[in-house]
Amino acid sequence: MLRILVEKELRDILYSTKFSITFGASALLVMLSFYVGIRNYQESMREYESAKSVNVSTMATLTDWNGVQHKVFREPEPLQVLVNGVANDVGRTTDMRVRGELSLFNSRYSVDPLFAVFRFLDLNFVIAIVFSLFAILFGYDAINGEKESGTLKLVFSNAVSRADFILGKLFGSILALIVPLIVPFLVGCLMVIGFGVPISADEWIKLLLIILSGFLYFGAFLAVSIFISAVVSKSSVSFLFSLVVWIFSVLIIPKTSILVASQIAKVPNVDAVDAQKRKFLNQQLAGRQQKMQQFMQSATFDEGFSNRFNAFNDSISKIYEKERETFFQRLNEDWRNKKEWQERWAFRLSRISPTAIYQIASSNLAGTDVALKQRYLEAVNKYQEQFGEFMMKKGVSMGGMRVVIRSSGQQTQEEQPKPINVSELPQFVETRENVAAAFSRAVPDLGFLVVLNIVLFAAGFVAFLKFDVR
Amino acid sequence: MEQHATISAEGLTKIYEDGVCALDHVSFAVKPGEIFCLLGGNGAGKTTAINIFLGFIPPSQGVAKIHNVDIHRDPLEAKKYVSYLSDVVMLYPNFTARQNLDFFARLGGKHALTRDDYYTALRRVGLQEKAFEQKLKGFSKGMRQKVGLAIAIIKESPAIILDEPTSGLDPKAANEFQTTLLGLRAQGKAILMSTHDIFRAKEIADTVGIMNEGKMLAIKSRKELEHEDLEQLYLNYIHGKVAA
Repeated sequence: MLRILVEKELRDILYSTKFSITFGASALLVMLSFYVGIRNYQESMREYESAKSVNVSTMATLTDWNGVQHKVFREPEPLQVLVNGVANDVGRTTDMRVRGELSLFNSRYSVDPLFAVFRFLDLNFVIAIVFSLFAILFGYDAINGEKESGTLKLVFSNAVSRADFILGKLFGSILALIVPLIVPFLVGCLMVIGFGVPISADEWIKLLLIILSGFLYFGAFLAVSIFISAVVSKSSVSFLFSLVVWIFSVLIIPKTSILVASQIAKVPNVDAVDAQKRKFLNQQLAGRQQKMQQFMQSATFDEGFSNRFNAFNDSISKIYEKERETFFQRLNEDWRNKKEWQERWAFRLSRISPTAIYQIASSNLAGTDVALKQRYLEAVNKYQEQFGEFMMKKGVSMGGMRVVIRSSGQQTQEEQPKPINVSELPQFVETRENVAAAFSRAVPDLGFLVVLNIVLFAAGFVAFLKFDVR
Repeated sequence: MEQHATISAEGLTKIYEDGVCALDHVSFAVKPGEIFCLLGGNGAGKTTAINIFLGFIPPSQGVAKIHNVDIHRDPLEAKKYVSYLSDVVMLYPNFTARQNLDFFARLGGKHALTRDDYYTALRRVGLQEKAFEQKLKGFSKGMRQKVGLAIAIIKESPAIILDEPTSGLDPKAANEFQTTLLGLRAQGKAILMSTHDIFRAKEIADTVGIMNEGKMLAIKSRKELEHEDLEQLYLNYIHGKVAA
């Protein structure tokens, strides 16, 4: 019986005008999101390669490692362009220094502010916004619409159980929604292959999981709209209610949860933290100048002066660096803890909304979640250690002043300083997160989506048991 | 109650939550090959009785049986033996007549029917051939009613329940409908039909049950009605001139 009802529901939707419109719009949007994603990826890769090459060629003209201003760049990932998440908000470039705090700058949105206003049309947007709306369109009149059209009475004059009927509605509608997603998605995958985007097996699995979480997501919207159609007698009213639920889920709850979380868990702003850092640095500078003055007053300017000066400079640099590192670390950690606490609250509150749950799950799978910046910073900090060690070996000062005494007179061709060999620099390799790690981070939200589907469907079923089919 | 009745009501009572008594201890039986007309005006309780027989609402008292199965106790089993046609047949507008027939036939347990079987059923109810593969969207009420009757026929159930089936049909369509109904009676179907059309009832009914305000005032056989003016009889009953 269930098969007959699913088949009927599927065919009823497939033959309808709303399906033709939905399919056309979905096909266009999904394929467009793939195309835009692929083009963005290619452009980002070009920018990345060109930035790397400019960085190397700039360094290659130098003759002294002390003059090196090395930069590292965040490599674009194919999945990040399909599920943007925070990838475009996080900086892509880091000025690499031997010591000190590293920061990211040159984010995509800082370069193209127009995109920051309108955001990119990514696959995530299509699923989160457009497909949830389609789910409502397919489900808002599932029960009361059949009653209004008079078919419900005829169906239930046969040996049809209410469980079979409502399951038929749910599965039929889900299948009808999957078609507009799967077909253009497969075309999109062929486009990815055709355009030569290097997607690894892990990333294909992640993409598949993102699509599956998309099914769970619009399953939740279908279940909620079926529930509403079983509670409200008029389909026009149930459409209105479903639309209100959609607006709250997609637009209001995620944004409001951030505002509420910022009130529950207060976090000092970045400027205040920077001001504290600047104040500390100024105090250090004053202390350093005082010590330097004392050194100079007692110094003897003989042949060994430069060595003594450099040794003194290195020793106080080490002390100040240690102090600064400890202070900054404490400050950063304190700020990060508060920020994480705030984020946790924001995520907890936002999980009332299926849209937020889906977006958290999909960005976790794509690696474009809010922790992206932190993960990348950890990678560049790790690289900084390698870089620091390398530069030390090359005799680069740790900071402060340095005295170099050179003999005067004409230099011969042989004495001309040679350019540095940039290839000696340790390579910055950003390891991509494997599917197991991404999945384990997404599991709680995927679980939430499953639970949400079950709860909403159960609510719809209970409401339908009381529904007067006459 | 009759042992061989396909459709039977025993002391059927329905009191709604607001206290309105829509059915008051109504009993009747419809045997195979019999057309039983429930005759009454609006609010007489005809549709309430039908809703109980289809399991849409539970009775407050009494038993409604189809093919000897209590509809309230085992609705899914009882519904296997009944076909239903409402006053306004509404089907799936995106499906063709044949696709609608196919869906409802399979719901009714007919899984092995062919396209020819569907066409035969549609021909039997007098639907034009060109409409077989047309979507229901553009169908008139009469055409939809025909498809509805084809749905009721193709299930081949022993009981058929019709709720005001000829209301709103033009005379030709109503006549065609009547012919089909007589054919079904000849096949041995037990047909329960609600109507307020006295003339139609007298013409085709084997038994007429006169209802008013939830009560079954009288049950008259065709033989008993042969020499009676049904219209006058009906009016007499509902105005209390004849003791129920």
